[in-house]
Amino acid sequence: MQKVVSISLNGIAFQLEEPGYQQLRDYLERAEARLKDSPDRAEIMADLEQAIGEKCSRVVGPHKTVVSGAEINGILQEMGPVESAEEEKRADAAFESTAGTSSSTAPSPPPPDPRKRLFKIREGAMFGGVCNGLAAYMGVDVTWVRIAAVIITLATSGVVVLIYLGLMFIVPYANTSEDRAAAFGAPFSTQEFLGRAKKKPEDSREYDRWRREWRRQQRHWNRQWNHMSEQLRNATAQAVPHMSHTARAITGVFLPIAAIVGAVLFVAWVLALVSLIAQQTVFGWALPHGMPLWVGILVLAMLYFAISTPLKMIRHGGRQAAGYHPGWAALHGLMWLGFTVLFFWIAYTVFPGVHELVDQLMWAADLTVSNISETISVGSWY
Amino acid sequence: MNITEKLAPIRKGLLEFVILKIVAGDKVYVADMLKLLGPTEFATQEGTLYPLLSKLRREELVDYEWQESESGPPRKYYKLTQKGRTQLSTLNDYWKDLNRTLAEFGN
Repeated sequence: MQKVVSISLNGIAFQLEEPGYQQLRDYLERAEARLKDSPDRAEIMADLEQAIGEKCSRVVGPHKTVVSGAEINGILQEMGPVESAEEEKRADAAFESTAGTSSSTAPSPPPPDPRKRLFKIREGAMFGGVCNGLAAYMGVDVTWVRIAAVIITLATSGVVVLIYLGLMFIVPYANTSEDRAAAFGAPFSTQEFLGRAKKKPEDSREYDRWRREWRRQQRHWNRQWNHMSEQLRNATAQAVPHMSHTARAITGVFLPIAAIVGAVLFVAWVLALVSLIAQQTVFGWALPHGMPLWVGILVLAMLYFAISTPLKMIRHGGRQAAGYHPGWAALHGLMWLGFTVLFFWIAYTVFPGVHELVDQLMWAADLTVSNISETISVGSWY
Repeated sequence: MNITEKLAPIRKGLLEFVILKIVAGDKVYVADMLKLLGPTEFATQEGTLYPLLSKLRREELVDYEWQESESGPPRKYYKLTQKGRTQLSTLNDYWKDLNRTLAEFGN
């Protein structure tokens, strides 16, 4: 007798014998690890799941509903190990460089050090990977950066959190090996990179345990989040091929509407943020007594992302599945931009409060820009 | 090291070229590509093909569209883009040059 596990492969349900389920899970986990560097990881994983699903449905029938362990084994053999195309590129680059040096008699000059740039680094990150990236940029241990961040946060009563959030949205993740090299200012192999990012003081066991717990919790959240957004995206994407022409036309109308709603949301959010910072009120609503400003800003930001992200997913899914020409996507983006500008202009002309705010902001921005450029010029001398 | 093993990197490097050639014909589904490649020197597996296709798509050399199937969920059918067509003709020319060079060296 065998225990049976029910699974869903890219939306289709299958029943697997338990050993087969273990094998499949290991295979998919390995595949996901190999594709870590690929920006299309989610899509390739869905492709693989669909391919496995098709092979599974070939071995089941009306009188055989369970896929055996041996059959799964055969299917996985057929699938073959997952190789990241990204990794191949890296290997090719290595090959090219060795070929170059062996064929030429003159020693080739060492490649110039890649320019150092600030990146977020996911591997070994606690939260957004900003501290990790800063540590790589400055060439110090990440623990020191984190300690400094905590101290500065306490000293400035939380303003640094805003800077952190700002960096989190602006600074890109180091996704390719070139990015990583630039993050450290020196070429690194993936192994070295991982080792370096994960390096930690050995004596802090307590800290380690706490960090593991935190990472586990984070992974859990991430998984739930990814799962949710993927489902939403897949649902829209899979619905579209089944649609009739009228339904497609409706999607065509819906996408611009989604663009308008997105633009309105964005404008409202920016205005709310500005008015919160400038006047401590959001459309006439004052912050609860005793709540620091940065908490208010944080809440606003979270609210905006909570509302706008599902909308974005639906738009993305609809656009992708409808098989639109890239020009469509560009048009869509332009539409969003156009509506945003339009609504800003309307808000600017209709509401005197907004008018005042923007003028104030312009003045403040002018000041900040000159301050920043001064700082930069001083910094470059240093 | 036997001869097939020695030539493995060459086959691997040419796989992208072969895929572009296949996709250049008609819209194809991955299972059909594998069937086409199966009896040739370029026999390959899903584990290699899907990541490669997604890389080609990111480089805008191929694109796909969803098509319904009688059994199961809709499938991705791949086709060549204009950019892919240009790349393919460059690769074809390069391949001819390589052949000529090899021929010039004689046996």
